[in-house]
Amino acid sequence: MELFDNLALGFGVAFTFQNLIYAFIGCLLGTLIGVLPGIGPVATIAMLLPATYALPPVAALIMLAGIYYGAQYGGSTTAILVNLPGESSSVVTVIDGYQMARKGRAGPALAAAGLGSFFAGCVGTLILAAFAAPLTEVAFKFGPAEYFSLMILGLIGAVVLASGSLLKAVAMIVLGLLLGLVGTDVNSGVARFSFDVPELTDGIGFIVIAMGVFGYGEIISNLSKPEDEREVFTGKVTGLFPTKEDFRNMIPAVLRGTAIGSILGILPGGGALLAAFAAYTIEKKTKLRPGEVPFGQGNIRGVAAPESANNAGSQTSFIPLLTLGIPPNAVMALMVGAMTIHNIQPGPQVMTSNPELFWGLIASMWIGNLMLVILNLPLIGMWIKLLTVPYRWLFPAIVLFCAIGVYSTNNNTFDIWMVAAFGIIGYTFIKLGVEPAPLLLGFILGPMMEENLRRALLLSRGDWTVFVTRGLSASLLAAAAVLLVIVLLPAVKSKREEAFVEE
Amino acid sequence: MKINDFRSALLACLASCLLASVGVQAQPYPQKPIRLIVPFPAGGATDIFARTLSQKLAEKLGTSVVVDNKPGAGGTLGSDMVAKAQPDGYTLLLATSSTHSIGPNLNPKMPYDAVRDFTPIGQVGNAPSIMLVPNSSPAKTVQEWIDYARKNPGRLNYASSGNGTIVQLTAELFKAQAGLFVVHIPYKGTALAMPDLISGKVDVLFDSLPTGLPHVRDGRLRALGVTTAQRTPLAPGIPPISDVLPGYESTTWFGLFGPQGLRPELVSRINLAANQSLKDPEVADKLQKLGIEGLGGTPAQFTSLLASESAKWKKIINERKITLD
Repeated sequence: MELFDNLALGFGVAFTFQNLIYAFIGCLLGTLIGVLPGIGPVATIAMLLPATYALPPVAALIMLAGIYYGAQYGGSTTAILVNLPGESSSVVTVIDGYQMARKGRAGPALAAAGLGSFFAGCVGTLILAAFAAPLTEVAFKFGPAEYFSLMILGLIGAVVLASGSLLKAVAMIVLGLLLGLVGTDVNSGVARFSFDVPELTDGIGFIVIAMGVFGYGEIISNLSKPEDEREVFTGKVTGLFPTKEDFRNMIPAVLRGTAIGSILGILPGGGALLAAFAAYTIEKKTKLRPGEVPFGQGNIRGVAAPESANNAGSQTSFIPLLTLGIPPNAVMALMVGAMTIHNIQPGPQVMTSNPELFWGLIASMWIGNLMLVILNLPLIGMWIKLLTVPYRWLFPAIVLFCAIGVYSTNNNTFDIWMVAAFGIIGYTFIKLGVEPAPLLLGFILGPMMEENLRRALLLSRGDWTVFVTRGLSASLLAAAAVLLVIVLLPAVKSKREEAFVEE
Repeated sequence: MKINDFRSALLACLASCLLASVGVQAQPYPQKPIRLIVPFPAGGATDIFARTLSQKLAEKLGTSVVVDNKPGAGGTLGSDMVAKAQPDGYTLLLATSSTHSIGPNLNPKMPYDAVRDFTPIGQVGNAPSIMLVPNSSPAKTVQEWIDYARKNPGRLNYASSGNGTIVQLTAELFKAQAGLFVVHIPYKGTALAMPDLISGKVDVLFDSLPTGLPHVRDGRLRALGVTTAQRTPLAPGIPPISDVLPGYESTTWFGLFGPQGLRPELVSRINLAANQSLKDPEVADKLQKLGIEGLGGTPAQFTSLLASESAKWKKIINERKITLD
């Protein structure tokens, strides 16, 4: 079959000693960078781009792709160990991952993330290889109206992210939406809430809020407790590997996550991110097995599902890039730049004019995923050791790395002040008992929702029925309505029960 | 005689001191790496141009040229940084018409003055725009599209990468000259407008040649015309829009700037190095593949280009009442 021929060609290219070395270097660098909170793949690739000029194109792209996945793996490591989401897609991993670490189960959490991601990566690569062309057709069916409906679905799902009070979750989502308003409005070019500060005209950076609220907030809160009450993880570290029961719980979660991630990753513009949130939401809504830890307190499914989803999503997000030449996010845009510098125009003709490049890249994705699992699983022991460092040495290091990470995004010291401010806000959140994850989801989805809503209305010349007359959009909105009912039902039921009991 | 001797000795000392200080000032430039600020994100056309140019520039100047991306606020953050930098020749800016010809005419609150705060060193490139329509569009030439738009006033859309960008202004210039009513749909970058353009949800996009041409080459979109005054070798086979609309021209210039007060000898040194780099066949080839015409020139030519471009866009902005609000 042609697919196997092509894959054989690809593996032939990727398995050369030189390319394997480059893949390894890329993965290693990516993991190291991803572990450093805040310095994400975008900054790394931007920094290393000049170094790749001297390399042949295939090797350069393999290395850059390795950095990309490595950063994703590394991002989940910090999310689990120190409550710092290195990437937007790690925000969901933080919720259960960190709780698992606090209970001494950091090892299984990291293993779940690694293995789930590997499986999802393999599946994603297969889908990319086999179905790239027909899947882009699906992406075309998504216009602004469909994106808006999808985001409404995501936003309602965000409510599910919080395990606490429904009212507080909604409040955080709204706050996130408001923070997302800061910046330049795409439709009119007006700078909103920028208070004449030029750095705010592009909005508040995601990394800034994530680092501040999750990282600094947590540190301030830990420091505010007397020394003996602080978290000591290592005292209770149990096995490094997941138990048989963990595996039994994980496997369906990984499968579900992979499916969701593969589908949502194709959509240009944040599909992979939404995948992680969606996977977590769906996991949470499935019945808990007896004896399972509830979500939000360290359920391994809450780590495995979003990690699989975001890895599958990042694989399939290569599809619009390789078939249409449309980069779905900033990292891919840099890859397009890298390809252009090497005189390769990304697009379908890459498949025909440079087949060894296209298939070599796909084969190297699989190899990269494998390398990362081999690299990371033994490293789990080392990461655990890191937690034994006394807190008074650990937290300054975290503060420093966060600051470096934030600075590296825009080379602007203003961002560091912002992180500090959000750290204080994060501490306030912890004191008030509200969870920051819905805030981040609202922050990301809000601007996208608004942009798509207004664009859909512009295209339909003010006709609101466009959201229900277009089939795909209507079904997404219907699903959102159903989800809303499911979410509200327990609250309504419990109120009713309360009323009856009091009677 | 002793006093005269003394005076002449003193004068000789003073003279030699002066000579020595002049000698100190004539130290060879450059002595440390040069920072080339690109006020746009990495991976975009300006960034790739800067990186391609910087390698050769480094060779010609004899020091390393480091590209530093400082994106934000439509290019004004990075430009502002250079405006306020030391005029020692170690901080340079690669700017485009958005930051210096369009932006200042659109935004009353620019943090810098495009003319006063910079020293123009020289133009380095020119990128035309290209008129793209979906394959499903009924128009196969510019004239057909204009007729189509005249028959459906207000029912067609054009995409742009935002309010006040060259993409929007190119379209507005077209509308003004042809007398059309087409609705503006802004996006956060032309890459994001592509799926909607390809599937036919928007009807036209005046994208810059570097980003638009690959889609035409792959057959996903149809190109109706280029926005240069004449046919350009960068897009063979595509007629210029000025064939149908006489006098229509819209290109994005790329140019090197230094902060105000940059010494003339440094200006000519960098200008020379840039011109030499542009003539290098490898650089010229890369730029051609990018869809940018590598165009050099003297600082004086650049200054007059700046003035004429600024005037042209100011006229369109005022006539079509394009504002940032």
